[in-house]
Amino acid sequence: MKRVLVIVMLGLLVFSGLVLAQEKTKVVFWHAMSGTREALIQRMVDNFNLTHPGIEVVAEYKGSYRDTLNAAQAAAVAGNAPNVLHSFEVGTQQLLDMGIFALAQDVIDQYGVVIPWQDYLEPALNYYKIGGVQASFPWNSSNSILYYNKTLLDKAGVTMPREPTFEDIVAISRAVINAGVAEGGITWPMHSWFFEQWMAELGANLLNNDNGRSGYATEINLLDPAAVTIMNWWKQLYDEGLWINPGRESWSQARQNFTTQRVAMMISSTSDVNLTQNAAFDGGWEVGTAFMPVPLGFDRHGVVIGGGSLWLTKGHSDAEMKAAAEFVVYMSQVAQDITWHQSTGYFALRKTSLQALDLEGWYKLHPNYKTASDQLAESQISTATQGALSGVFPDIRTYIEDAAEEVYGGASVTDALTKAKGLIDQALVDYKELMGG
Amino acid sequence: MESKFPSRRLPLLILLPTLLVCGMFLYYPLAQSFSWSLLRAAFMGLRTLYVGTQNYVRLFTSSAYLHSMWISIVFAAGVVLLGLSISLGIALVANRKVRGARIYRTALIWPYALSPAVAGTIWLFLFNPTAGVVNFVLERTVGISPDWVTSRNLAILLVVTAAVWKNLGYNIVFFLAGLQNVPGQVIEAARIDGASAWRCFWKVTLPLLSPTAFFLLIMNMIYAFFGVFGLVDVLTKGGPANATNILIYNLYRDAFQHNKWGMASAQSVILFVMVVGFTLLQFRTTGRKVHYGG
Repeated sequence: MKRVLVIVMLGLLVFSGLVLAQEKTKVVFWHAMSGTREALIQRMVDNFNLTHPGIEVVAEYKGSYRDTLNAAQAAAVAGNAPNVLHSFEVGTQQLLDMGIFALAQDVIDQYGVVIPWQDYLEPALNYYKIGGVQASFPWNSSNSILYYNKTLLDKAGVTMPREPTFEDIVAISRAVINAGVAEGGITWPMHSWFFEQWMAELGANLLNNDNGRSGYATEINLLDPAAVTIMNWWKQLYDEGLWINPGRESWSQARQNFTTQRVAMMISSTSDVNLTQNAAFDGGWEVGTAFMPVPLGFDRHGVVIGGGSLWLTKGHSDAEMKAAAEFVVYMSQVAQDITWHQSTGYFALRKTSLQALDLEGWYKLHPNYKTASDQLAESQISTATQGALSGVFPDIRTYIEDAAEEVYGGASVTDALTKAKGLIDQALVDYKELMGG
Repeated sequence: MESKFPSRRLPLLILLPTLLVCGMFLYYPLAQSFSWSLLRAAFMGLRTLYVGTQNYVRLFTSSAYLHSMWISIVFAAGVVLLGLSISLGIALVANRKVRGARIYRTALIWPYALSPAVAGTIWLFLFNPTAGVVNFVLERTVGISPDWVTSRNLAILLVVTAAVWKNLGYNIVFFLAGLQNVPGQVIEAARIDGASAWRCFWKVTLPLLSPTAFFLLIMNMIYAFFGVFGLVDVLTKGGPANATNILIYNLYRDAFQHNKWGMASAQSVILFVMVVGFTLLQFRTTGRKVHYGG
């Protein structure tokens, strides 16, 4: 009996020794990037772990942005939320209201972590600034740009201006179809994001109360002339067979339509630059990029930041909080920023990175990587381009996409938009009440 | 009846694991759904506001929800009618004594073994408007290229067909079992009396199959209302313009995409009442109108 006890004690001793030897501050990081991007993130995390011996970051891919956010909610209810959460831009208000996150600026101040905010692009910071305070760390930032197949456009005898109009898109689409070089003119995922980008381009707030930034929004501006103009154009493209519908929120199908040369143009996130260029290279054709189109006679106001940012959850030990903060700061340091940009097409966040890329000659060699940065740099600073904040963004997107589908189904633009507005306004008011705002 | 257990504790102890599992995964969530259905809740219950019966009132006055209910009924009718008649036909053929009958039967049951996500993906590949095999063939032969996923009527047709196909195996297994229990002598007697094969089927086989058919009717109804979430999610996401937004998908959307936990709970209570209704119907009518032979 005694011997057994001794063995058990010895075993425990060895075990605790092992535990002590491995005692690192563990940081759990949940993100929403799959495929090659997941591998890239893992490499960046490995590098961080190598250079920070006291910290061990564990990265986990949790599915789409929505899935990741749901998983984090469930984990928060169960009391084991990850230290760092990667979330999409439109989840910002929800994340703020959930009450499980610490504001980025507060953590930075409390733990004395150094981050040169002045080196970051202002629009990227602005989106995630709530009442003047930085709430999260901008990371994978994008906006939507127009891709076109230069080879097909040449065959049809048309050229793409740097800043096209809605009318240009119609004319070019008709030209490529009439010349028989493509089945359709243009494609983009049937996604509300593009509608939101166009609202900003036309200088219209999507929501009232300064796009939900001076207080909880209670109304969506779907009957604004800008909204009606966008929808009418979209309907025209659909009715004439110029726009090919790849399906709801179907990014990969849209990309496939474009890379297999069924259409001559695509509107998509700048984060598709890398994938699209590779496909064009393999297919032996040339891809060009341009700004988002706007209707003739409207001023160009610029685009809203898309993509995601990194959030820190509260309620962890000081060591974990500090380690997590160091990790998120690391992820957008110049070296990582440049790698991330070059491997994906999400734009570089830091002014220093932009200069370095310029010096290196990267943009001369790869002008398509520059379009999104230029488009962002030329955006006017306003609440329209700062982007809407709302806790019911998923509703907003569902109902706007429903409205678009009803319009192709033959409903009138104003009827479909009025119906969507009714549903969204109800959701906005309900949410405001629920939050006691 | 005299208890055969030596003490009263033993049966309870034996029941305990079942009760624990059911309690944790069925009764507790059910009770929670009832209480949440009276709340407006966000973030999986981190934020709540008591609203009484508002969720129910809104559901039953919302044209979108009533539309979803209508779509579900149309969908269920399609799945049940098509599913039962096709699988009965196949079962009749598969019941014949031919060489390799076992291989055919196994092949017929395969689709049932696929997960809904895999089945949905296969159908999406086949019917993809721009890259699918079906449209490739149609375009080459007939010169048409229908937009399966973005046209309302075609989308619902696609989902119904996929759902029927997915459940064929299940139905066929039960019909085959039923057919093998139909006594040969009865049919033989009918044939000797001069009944045609068709008359034999209608007057003898079908009545003897009715318990199986009725059981399958209920199971298919439950499947059509609650079991096709995966297919809808992969194929159409409830679209286009809600054409395939059946009740169970609407519930998922409200809970997991729109973050409306109270509203979703109220919908799950409504669905629960419907299941109870189906089950009662099954218990009530079995044994009365259905012929069990013997």
